[in-house]
Formats: sequence, structure tokens, C-alpha cells
Amino acid sequence: MQNEVIVNVNNIYKYFDDLKVLQGVSCDIKKGERVAIIGPSGSGKSTLLRCMNLLEEPTYGEVWLEGKLLTAPDPYLHFDVIRASETYGRLMAARKSEHPDESAEEADIAVIADIKKNDLLKKHEGKAYRSLLRSTEKNNRTGINLARRDMGMVFQHFNLFNNLTVMKNITLAPTELGIMSKSEAEEKAMELLEKIGLADKADAYPSTLSGGQKQRIAIVRALAMNPKVMLFDEPTSALDPEMVGEVLDLIKQVADTGMTMVIVTHEMGFAREVATRVLFMDKGNILEEGSPEELFSAPKQERTKEFLSKVL
Amino acid sequence: MEAVFNFFRKLWSDFYDCFIAHDFYSLYLRGLRNTVIIAFGACLLGLIIGIIVTCVRIAPKKLFIMRLLDKIAKIYVTVIRGTPVVLQLFICYFVLLKSINSASLFGIKDTDGIFVAILTFGINSGAYMAEILRGGINSVDYGQTEAGRSLGLSWTKTFIKIVLPQAMKSAIPTVFNEFITLIKETSVAGYVGIIDLTKIQKYVTTQSMKMYMPLFIIAAIYLIIVLGLGQVQKAIENNLSRGERNHAK
Repeated sequence: MQNEVIVNVNNIYKYFDDLKVLQGVSCDIKKGERVAIIGPSGSGKSTLLRCMNLLEEPTYGEVWLEGKLLTAPDPYLHFDVIRASETYGRLMAARKSEHPDESAEEADIAVIADIKKNDLLKKHEGKAYRSLLRSTEKNNRTGINLARRDMGMVFQHFNLFNNLTVMKNITLAPTELGIMSKSEAEEKAMELLEKIGLADKADAYPSTLSGGQKQRIAIVRALAMNPKVMLFDEPTSALDPEMVGEVLDLIKQVADTGMTMVIVTHEMGFAREVATRVLFMDKGNILEEGSPEELFSAPKQERTKEFLSKVL
Repeated sequence: MEAVFNFFRKLWSDFYDCFIAHDFYSLYLRGLRNTVIIAFGACLLGLIIGIIVTCVRIAPKKLFIMRLLDKIAKIYVTVIRGTPVVLQLFICYFVLLKSINSASLFGIKDTDGIFVAILTFGINSGAYMAEILRGGINSVDYGQTEAGRSLGLSWTKTFIKIVLPQAMKSAIPTVFNEFITLIKETSVAGYVGIIDLTKIQKYVTTQSMKMYMPLFIIAAIYLIIVLGLGQVQKAIENNLSRGERNHAK
């Protein structure tokens, strides 16, 4: 079971100055799953997605990719680290004198809960704490550039490289990172372009393409890296209505290959059709989650019902 | 008809007196040489300083040293842009050069005005260049960087392969504008006794007793330099935008 989890988001908070965008979000993305994230604007959907590949660094909390830590370790999520802190030692001693008849385990649980709840860890918590935090990081953390190779990202505004041809857009990362040779990468790119019927645009520059073509090429660019998970950030929101279909069709094709996907979208019909699980977010929290049938036909939360009644 | 003919004959004789007689043209050439050396050196130095300062300004600020360098770069740009270039030249020449001389460092002679001029104009231009380049880089949509990073490319690789080429394209006109301004600005070098193109006017006028002709000759020489530079700019711009025009071969 544990092995199946590809992306693990553990209790992340994201603050932009005073704006609290994410407030303790946790979720697991399992292999082969297609998770759609829906919710009103400003609910933190895109930020959650961008936190998964660290385009936004979470203020607190951890993000894991296949058992490797992407963020700095969050001391509050590691009991052994909390136990090594001076604050824990002090509180345990105080607790013992206050409740002499309490067992050690009970005191431990109560103190850790107290520390977590009231955010008691300080910047400096002694040598043992520091070295444990450091070794936790050393044992688990992986370089973000390495991790991002396994996470394809598709943006709302396509973000094709304007100074490169379509072919170069697709082959740049695989060749620069030494994953493929130039001819291999070009062969693969051509194969993918043929699949989406844009092989004749290989030497064109992005400025000459339509929105739908740009987005389909952006998807191909991400696929060329052979990612383990694809992240879609409102892939059709910036498109003319008549071009939405071609992009959604391509995403469905990608879905049919068994690719693990996370999709932030406003296209409810599409989410219902493609997703295996739907998350509903509001005000920086995941309010409700479930299969598309459950969530769209019989939402449990009042807020979900209200939102769906407006958009469906 | 007669009047027009006389006017042109007078013009030619004045030109002859101010340019060809007494080998005056070699004087102009000497001034031109110094102006070109100063301008070229300053452009180069300004560009190098500008690139370094820009790199400092836009690089990620995770390390303390990078934040410190960023502060220093900001102060540099503010001070240089906030004071007249003539004053900077005076300070460099009369204060810095003299004090360096008295400490007999580097073995700079009093007469080494050209070196000071290159340094001053280069440092001055560097501040403007830094802002121009930063503007060019900021004009590139941040989504380009995000796309590069999301594919696993490092910040540096994304910057060099994606952001810089696009930034260069939008910054080239302003960079050349700065070069042109700089070339003309070097005309104040005469204030500290450097024999540059503008300074030649004084010699020629006193010797030929002609007031206006040397001025026009010098103006024409500056104009020719700037026009030449404009051609270089055009060639570079054409080269950079070639990609966009011949799409879909």
C-alpha cells in the first residue's frame, strides 16, 4: 500500500505574507490515480498543485515523491525530532511534577500534542535536536531538480519557450539533462507530435500557433520526460471555447495510458468523466473528497452543494 | 546665382582652412582616436559591470552573501545614477587619481587621463546598463522560468537557455541607446585635460580663427559614428528576430 503512493502531501501550510492560502492540507496521490481538484477561485487549488513540485515552497509541512522528501523536513511531523528538543525536555519535567502518577507514554503523548497545538518549538532547540533534524534531512531529502524530472507540469498559460521552435521546446530538457541523446529526443518528440497531428509544426515558433496547439505541445513537452505523474494547472482556462475540446481529448488519451495525474480544473464534466477521485477545496482546506459519482451526485458538505449548484 | 556660388566657395575655403590646412585633419584624428578609445573601453567596461550587477540583482537570494551583494549593487546604482557624470569624472581624476598617485600605486602617471576616463565612464555606464539589462530580464514572463524549472532544468540553465535570449532581444535597442549616449557623453572628458574630439575644436579655432566650421566638422564626425553604430544595432536585431520570421520552413 505504502509503495503505491507517488506524491504525499503532509500537512502543508502556505502563507503569502498575511494571506493564508493553504491551511494544513494533506493528501496522497497513488499510482494510476487521476485526481481532480475543484473548488472556488482563491481556494488554494493551484497553490496546492504548485506545492507538489515546489514551484511554491510550502511555509510548513512536507511534500514527498516516492518516499523521497522534497521540502526541508518539518520538525512538527517527526516525533523523534520533537522529543530531542529542549522544549520537550522542559515540558516533560514540568509534566512529571504536575502529574506524578501519569505513565511515561501518556505524558509523552500529551506533551507532543501540546507542542504541536501551540507551536512551541523555537528556532534553537539544542544540539541533539539540530543534529537529528539535519540527519532526517540528509537521509530523506532529494534534489528538487532531480525530482521535477518525474513530475510533468502543464500550465494555464502554456508557457512554451518563445525563443525556441516546437521541436526544441520538446527536446531541450531531455537533451540538456543528459537523459536522451539529441537524435533519440528528436525521434521521441516527432513520434509524440505525430500522435497529436502537429508534426508539420515541428519547426514553427510558438507565436505562430493557436492556443489549443500550444497547450497540446506543452503537454507533449512534459510527456517527453517520461514523468511518473502529470500535474495540470487549469489546462483549458486560457483557451477559446472551441479549442477546449482538443486539449481535453489529449488529456483523456494520456489518462488512458494509465498515467498518474492531478488536475486542477473548472471543467466539471471533464472532471467527472476522467477523474478517479475528486477533491473539493475551499479556503485553503480539502473540505470533501470522494469518487466523482459520490461528490457530484451526493455531496455531503453544505459548501460543496452550494458550489456545485452554482457551476453545474 | 552668384551669391550661392560665393557661399559655397566660402564654405569650401573655410573647410579647407579648418580641416586640411596645417595638417589639422591629423589633429581631428588624434582626438577621434582618444574619443573612440574612451568610448569603446567605457562601453565594454560598462557592459561587463552591468552584466555582473544584473546577475547579482536577479540571482536567488537564499544566501546571506547574495543579499549583501544585492544591497551593495543597489547602492552603486543609486549613487551613480544620482550624480552628474562630470562630477564623477572630477572626483575620479582630481581625488582618486591624485591620491593613488601619492601612494604611488599601479604606477599611474598624472597624464594618464584616458585611463581615468574609461574607468569613470565605464563605471557610470555600468549602473545604467545594469538597470537596462534587469528591465530586459524582467520583461520575460516568469512563466518561462517556471516552465523550465518544472522540467527539472536548474535555475542557471533555465536562465541561460530560455530567459537570457528573450531578454537580450528586448534589451538590445535600449543597450544601443546607452552606447550612443555614452559616446556623446565622453565629450566632457576635455574638462580634465584629455585631448578628445570635442577638445580639438579649441585648438583649431585658435589657430584658424574660424569659429563655426570646426564645430560642424566635429558634430559631423560624432554623427557618423552614431550612424555606424545604428547599422550595427540593425544587423544584430535582424539576426535575433530571424527565428520568428521563417517559421514552418
